[in-house]
Amino acid sequence: MTAAARLAWICGGLAILLVAVAMGSLLVGAAPVSPGIVLDVITGRGPAVGTDRTVVLSIRLPRIAAAMLAGGALAVAGAGFQALTRNPLAEPSILGVSAGAAFGVVLAQVSGLGQGVVEALGLTVFGFTGAAVAGLAVYLIASSAAGLPVHTLLLAGVIVGIFFSAAITVLISIVDANRLGGVIHWLLGSVAPIPPSQLAIFALATVAGVWLVLGQARALNLLALGEEGAIELGVDALRVKRRIFMGAALLTGTVVAFVGPIGFVGLIVPQVFRMLLGPDNRILVPAAFLGGGAFLLAADTLARIVVAPAELSVGVLTSFCGAPFFIWLLRSRVARVAP
Amino acid sequence: MSALFRVQVLAALALVLLLLPGSAWAFTVVDQAGRTLTLPASPRRIVSLVPSVTELLYAIGAQDALVGVTDFCDYPAEARRKPHVGDMISPNLETLVTLKPDLVVATRSGNREEIFDQLTRLGIPVYLVDPITVGDVLRLVSELGQLTGHRDGAVAVEKDLGRRIAAVRERVAGRPHPRVLYVLWPEPLIVPGKGSLVTELIALAGGASVTADQGQGYPRMSLEAAVGRAPEIIILARHGSRVGPAALTQWQRLESLPAIKSGRLYMADGDLMHRYGPRVVVGLESLARMIHPEVFARPEPSK
Amino acid sequence: MTPLAEFRAVSFVYPRGAAGRPPFELRELSFSVAPGEVLGLIGPNAAGKTTVIRLLSRVLSPSRGAIMIGGEPASALGRAAVARRIAVVPQDVPHGFPYTVEQLVLMGRFPHAPARFFESREDLRIAREAMALTGIESLAAEPLEHLSGGERQRVVLARALAQQPRLLVLDEPTAHLDLRYQAECVALLRRLHRDEGLGILLVSHDLNLAAEVSDRLLLLAGGSAVKVGPPEEVLEETVLEAVYGCRVMVDKHPATRRPTVNVLWPDGR
Repeated sequence: MTAAARLAWICGGLAILLVAVAMGSLLVGAAPVSPGIVLDVITGRGPAVGTDRTVVLSIRLPRIAAAMLAGGALAVAGAGFQALTRNPLAEPSILGVSAGAAFGVVLAQVSGLGQGVVEALGLTVFGFTGAAVAGLAVYLIASSAAGLPVHTLLLAGVIVGIFFSAAITVLISIVDANRLGGVIHWLLGSVAPIPPSQLAIFALATVAGVWLVLGQARALNLLALGEEGAIELGVDALRVKRRIFMGAALLTGTVVAFVGPIGFVGLIVPQVFRMLLGPDNRILVPAAFLGGGAFLLAADTLARIVVAPAELSVGVLTSFCGAPFFIWLLRSRVARVAP
Repeated sequence: MSALFRVQVLAALALVLLLLPGSAWAFTVVDQAGRTLTLPASPRRIVSLVPSVTELLYAIGAQDALVGVTDFCDYPAEARRKPHVGDMISPNLETLVTLKPDLVVATRSGNREEIFDQLTRLGIPVYLVDPITVGDVLRLVSELGQLTGHRDGAVAVEKDLGRRIAAVRERVAGRPHPRVLYVLWPEPLIVPGKGSLVTELIALAGGASVTADQGQGYPRMSLEAAVGRAPEIIILARHGSRVGPAALTQWQRLESLPAIKSGRLYMADGDLMHRYGPRVVVGLESLARMIHPEVFARPEPSK
Repeated sequence: MTPLAEFRAVSFVYPRGAAGRPPFELRELSFSVAPGEVLGLIGPNAAGKTTVIRLLSRVLSPSRGAIMIGGEPASALGRAAVARRIAVVPQDVPHGFPYTVEQLVLMGRFPHAPARFFESREDLRIAREAMALTGIESLAAEPLEHLSGGERQRVVLARALAQQPRLLVLDEPTAHLDLRYQAECVALLRRLHRDEGLGILLVSHDLNLAAEVSDRLLLLAGGSAVKVGPPEEVLEETVLEAVYGCRVMVDKHPATRRPTVNVLWPDGR
């Protein structure tokens, strides 16, 4: 079977899985809506006004879309970053970009920077700005005459991340009690219903980021030979590093801006698929996108129904998966996961 | 003057002094947390760490005994001119102590326990209030009246509040109770649950809160679960200027929701309904206007 | 005939020298590799041999002078173009390399169509041919970690052949191999040189291997060319002693009559 055919089969299978999870997620929730009514609403046969319609179309559906996009984006960012740094522990949050985005949003929430400004622009703009500032800082710190050395990139990302996390802690300590709950709730990651126009921007940014990473997938494979080895085969290593960094930063910043910081997806999903499908990034990246979307969607669905009528933050669930996964990874002989 | 006559005069004076109101030598009260406090006299220098209590003290006419308030004590306007000791969670102890209070009024739901211990250790008595129901509020009025010696003022306030509550009850009596969703905070969604003041107010105003069976106090709920209970009326609480237009537009986007479609989305002044002060009746009246506009003269649509 | 590769008065300085010592330099190095020639690059450690490879493959750029590849200046050629003409064979793959043999050999096709997402059928055919040339077709689906040192050597060589270069650059090809694989390697190189007409630049610290296989030798020391010419001329006792700082005797190989260098081991007194 050619590699292209294999890719088609894998993506087809994962796409079916994703659709199945999405349909399941549409049918369950805290509000009692029977499957028949859900189908009616989806196919446009239901009443034009009604709580069921609101629940299915305005609450569940946008949430499902956001979860799929966020999961896919984080997984691709993780896959790209792990291949770039040749480090299986690399997670998109190491880039420092998510801390920057989180800081932007928390700052807006806490200071209510002239309420009008914040409301007009929306929190997401602040998230994006924070992400851009952090990303730029990391890039400038790490880049030198010698190009963009990977270990310096990692270090710079960690440092910038620590800086913004500390800044967030300062903000939390001075915010008044009323708003604290809201800020903490956001910091755990919340896939709240996003209006269609914003969802479109989310989707576009995700596609752009995935495109940046996927475009370099073949060159990423060659990077496993070491940077010199790749250059000797004609790879423009600096260009690859820049594109992957930008793509991963864009994807991570977008997710944090729209749904808040969600951990572990970018770490777990690429690892699992690498074990199942092999290290070829041309197959791994698309698979991670679809699989990551399904994974986060499943987690979010669980978060919605497990303590109904209240709900958990999806970040809580993914964190719960994190530690056991790490332990299993360390102890597993099967895991040949060096990208 | 003979010695006997002098003794009699002194005894008469002593008797008169004893009978003068508010001049008891020892003063024992039990606060709403069940603690017994012994004060040397009726308190003349009170620091209030609870905005509701500040409002009540003004309402019963005891504001002269008030020497310190929190940053949140913003009603009535004169209250803001009193010396500030900081916020409710961490008031400045030094500032507090320099005010030389003989009583501090605080609450377990809003102030921190450590402050009570610190104040007690400094020899400053702490009077805890913990009103949950409307009835508790009325009782608090009379207790504060007793505490400060303004019993007449307290009685007047009690009567007025009682009268207005009864008026609302009468006018909505016998009417069907529409389902009401009250949004205390939009994100995360916080709603009034069992035994909370807002739940009671909604019931008094002739509505049926869809979240009345949720946990104690003000629990969280998922948006879907709240919407799934098909509220006919949705009320968003405004906290000062903080929960602003964004929350409104977010809810207005749910166009297919019956409550939104029929225009029954309202904003309410949170301070009226979450404080256990004299303005709860104002809150009650505004709720009643939203829930039963057909009975009251001026309906207040969402802005 | 246009040389496959040519250094014209190339100078290079590493940006930072090791503690205390001045930054390492290549000084005005000039040499060329003719088509179909085997040039052996020898010299002590830190003589600049690795630097030459890096400059050739465009990992580094010269500070002064020009490098010509197939008659064209290297700076004008893109990296992929260079990789189509010159293939560098490393000593091994990095530790923990996760790909299979066939996947690695296919990587050698990258410079021919870097914009392609997947390799073409033609690429697959060329890769299989390269594997056949080095005798590893049966190992195609094996992960590299499962192979022995000698087998891995043949795999990286196959990858270089898949690049279809004119010039093969071998970086210490026998460094970690035992005698058997060293012999196999020499046989393979000779066959490739003879059958495919490849030019070879062999970098080695094994003087006798270099003498055996090379048409000419270039002796490098301290960043400069000390001597260049046929092995008998270059491997001369006084020259070697001056460069390596130890006493040697140069003899003739009993079978091939090529020069062999024998060290006069000091007795420690």
